[in-house]
Amino acid sequence: MTHAPGLAERLAEVVGPRGVLQRPGELVVYRSDGLPGYSKQPRLAVFPRTRDELVAVVRLLAEHSVPFVPRGAGTGLSGGALADDVVLVGLNRLTRILSIDPVERVAVVEPGVVNVALTRAATPYGLHYAPDPSSQAACTIGGNVAENAGGPHCLKYGVTLNHVRAVTAILPDGEIVRLGSSEGEVEGYDLLGAFIGSEGCFGIALDVTVRLSPNPQAIRTLLADFTSVDAAARATSEIIASGIVPAALEMMDGATIRAVEASIYAAGYPVDAEAILLIELDGLEAGLEADVARVEGMCSAAGARMVRVARDDAERARLWQGRKKAFGAMGRISSHLVVQDAVIPRTRLPDVLAVIREIAERQRITVCNVFHAGDGNLHPNIGYDANDPDEQARVHAAMREIMATCVAAGGTITGEHGIGLDKLDYMNLIFSEESLAAMCRLREVFDPARRANPGKVVPVHSCREWHGAPRAAWTA
Amino acid sequence: MTVPASAASSPAVSQKASPSTAPSSPPLRPGSTADVREIVGDAIARKAPVRIVGRGTWLDAGRPVEAAGELWLDRLTGIVDYTPGDLTLTARAGTTLAEIARATAEHGQWLALEPWGSDDGSLGATAATATAGPMSGTLGTPRDVVIGIEAVVGSGELVRGGGRVVKNVAGFDLTRLMVGAWGTLGILTEVSVRLRGLPEREVTLALPLPNALAPLAELVTRLRSAPIAPLGIEMVSARLAARLGVGQQAVVIARLAGNADAVSAQRAALGTFGEMSDVPDSVWTAIRTAEPAEATVVRFSSTVARFPEVWLAADRLAATGDGYAHASVLRSSARVVLPHNEGAPPDAALQLLRGTIRDTRIFERLPAALWPVLAPSRATDRLSGGVRAAFDPHRLLNRGILGETHA
Repeated sequence: MTHAPGLAERLAEVVGPRGVLQRPGELVVYRSDGLPGYSKQPRLAVFPRTRDELVAVVRLLAEHSVPFVPRGAGTGLSGGALADDVVLVGLNRLTRILSIDPVERVAVVEPGVVNVALTRAATPYGLHYAPDPSSQAACTIGGNVAENAGGPHCLKYGVTLNHVRAVTAILPDGEIVRLGSSEGEVEGYDLLGAFIGSEGCFGIALDVTVRLSPNPQAIRTLLADFTSVDAAARATSEIIASGIVPAALEMMDGATIRAVEASIYAAGYPVDAEAILLIELDGLEAGLEADVARVEGMCSAAGARMVRVARDDAERARLWQGRKKAFGAMGRISSHLVVQDAVIPRTRLPDVLAVIREIAERQRITVCNVFHAGDGNLHPNIGYDANDPDEQARVHAAMREIMATCVAAGGTITGEHGIGLDKLDYMNLIFSEESLAAMCRLREVFDPARRANPGKVVPVHSCREWHGAPRAAWTA
Repeated sequence: MTVPASAASSPAVSQKASPSTAPSSPPLRPGSTADVREIVGDAIARKAPVRIVGRGTWLDAGRPVEAAGELWLDRLTGIVDYTPGDLTLTARAGTTLAEIARATAEHGQWLALEPWGSDDGSLGATAATATAGPMSGTLGTPRDVVIGIEAVVGSGELVRGGGRVVKNVAGFDLTRLMVGAWGTLGILTEVSVRLRGLPEREVTLALPLPNALAPLAELVTRLRSAPIAPLGIEMVSARLAARLGVGQQAVVIARLAGNADAVSAQRAALGTFGEMSDVPDSVWTAIRTAEPAEATVVRFSSTVARFPEVWLAADRLAATGDGYAHASVLRSSARVVLPHNEGAPPDAALQLLRGTIRDTRIFERLPAALWPVLAPSRATDRLSGGVRAAFDPHRLLNRGILGETHA
């Protein structure tokens, strides 16, 4: 079967012939995102270069009743940006920072602006964009908005949701709406809040107005080294319960430490440790040392062998690079890596981590933990060989058990990666059919035809009056 | 509005309902989520709109409501889950803020919302109205602090959004949608929030507030970039300052917190601004509860750049209407309280409201007759209408409070 008659040609009229890809070979790179194990081939991919082109593309797709999947940098970890035989709308060419206003402390950006590029542009004003996913060197603001992305520093500063003031969005039917305001408060429903984290199902952001945060006066980065994961987990719970809010509080287990230290990202972590905590405290210079001393004391009391404070910016950057590139470093261990995501109440860290270890042993798989301990956001990462069906089956069984364990502990199935395709089967672990149906109705307010990112986030069977994927409308 | 025979005989419903649809029908006082569900089911069957009363505070906030009966949530109370080490808490919607403050203070923690009004108000109403008090510039509004909700929506289903953990992106965000919806999508029955550790120390300091634009703008700019980490910075008009006992002139008061070293450094930093005085911490509660029983309350939300100008206009409006004004420097938002004289603010103040102040303004309280004149509905766009229809298709819940004229 070929594409719908005329659609590719009409899209090419909008974005130019080089902005439309439809040969299988050209589309290979778009078959997957950052999560292995899924491969979906888009029917075609279209790459608008300007806002006007994007608007024209979306309206053309609406005119043809064609389903589509928006995609930023494709760094997502839930399969959310995969287009299964539908149109993929690539936003990575819309990379303009439209304005930075140091007085209002806001920036207006196109959806394809890379996260770290925004912070770099804000640096001359003493400002930064706070949400910092590990993929920040590649991921886009539009993708961050779609996923409500987090990152290590969200512990103190909040996730994407807390840093977006307004979005101009184009709805799947082509209507342009303004959600939120950069001029002040708006009355009425928090449609902006609903849009953020809607995983590309509610429309596409044409521009995003984000809050920029002043750089802290002072920063201290601590490395605490433990001989057991349990001790590090107890230290984490102690620090959180103390009321001190670190800027970040990250944990890495022994397997992760050794993978990082064997890689080009070696950060000087102690390779004989079974866990480290990377703790960052920031704020006013005055009083910071007292908080550092308290945190050091809590780590030592929980059994830390050593707590060291980074001496300078270079050492601090090195400690962070090891953490942020840990996923890359794990590539040395195995051919495929599932970066998992779940959240538990912070007091449950020691026992849930122990259960995960037990699951890994029983299923004979390798789990490395590198995660946002401070907000209970686990990333149990499983390295495996996707070409080994037996191992793949055990990985899936373990994953399901891990999710069930986190839910049973009072947690949730994703803290920052989203549901996408990967977590669809777990949605009914935490939401009733009634809640899922309510989510379907919300989606239909934004996209009555359900053409935007079809088949993601809410399981199809939860949507009443579901007519099946609307694909038939344009293949016939 | 009535309840089904089965519910009318149950102890969950306080008074036996009459078949009348007159607003004078006895209030319903459910004691459980199941009761709320039953009541909504009954309202759907009878097409009888319901006013959600909560604990009965702030009843004149928001536009007039058309209803056949009142639903109180003052029996739907109690903390459901509180593990101090997690810094999260879940409580039934009718639980007072005072009860939550007591429970959390025992563990050196607090629910850092401190909304307008007293702590007799409920957690559910705070979430439903998303009211943001003087600390919200730093500590967030209910939209930032609420992490999960349970609600009976207008179509009768029981839905949950979010959860009890501090980070959660599972599914579409029903929590954000319900918080600030003023009950028009669903009746909140349970709310989960994040808590904070109480600051080790805090101090509140007052500085004189200039009343000319240039020095005012300079002060605001300096405050925003000073080496301080305030929980709140509030400008207070002269009349309010007098009521609060902090002098006869307009002041700006700052709440500074942290450990001992941090607080003394901040005090020193603020000392460079001018003649500074200590103010008791209780001033923050006094500001929240200063509003008279009958008043018009309007909020002006602006950009940082225009904020000094907006403050001066708000202060002028307050003086014209024999009322007072206060404003959050960190949110660039001013609030004017105009006491009523024979049911309305003075004519001179109304004139000003009608004509001269054009910034983003949001009315909180207003005489019933003035709502359509001064505050046309803000929720008439297609998406808002669609959301309402998706959750409350019969427009049974708090009908009219957001002013929407069609669903």
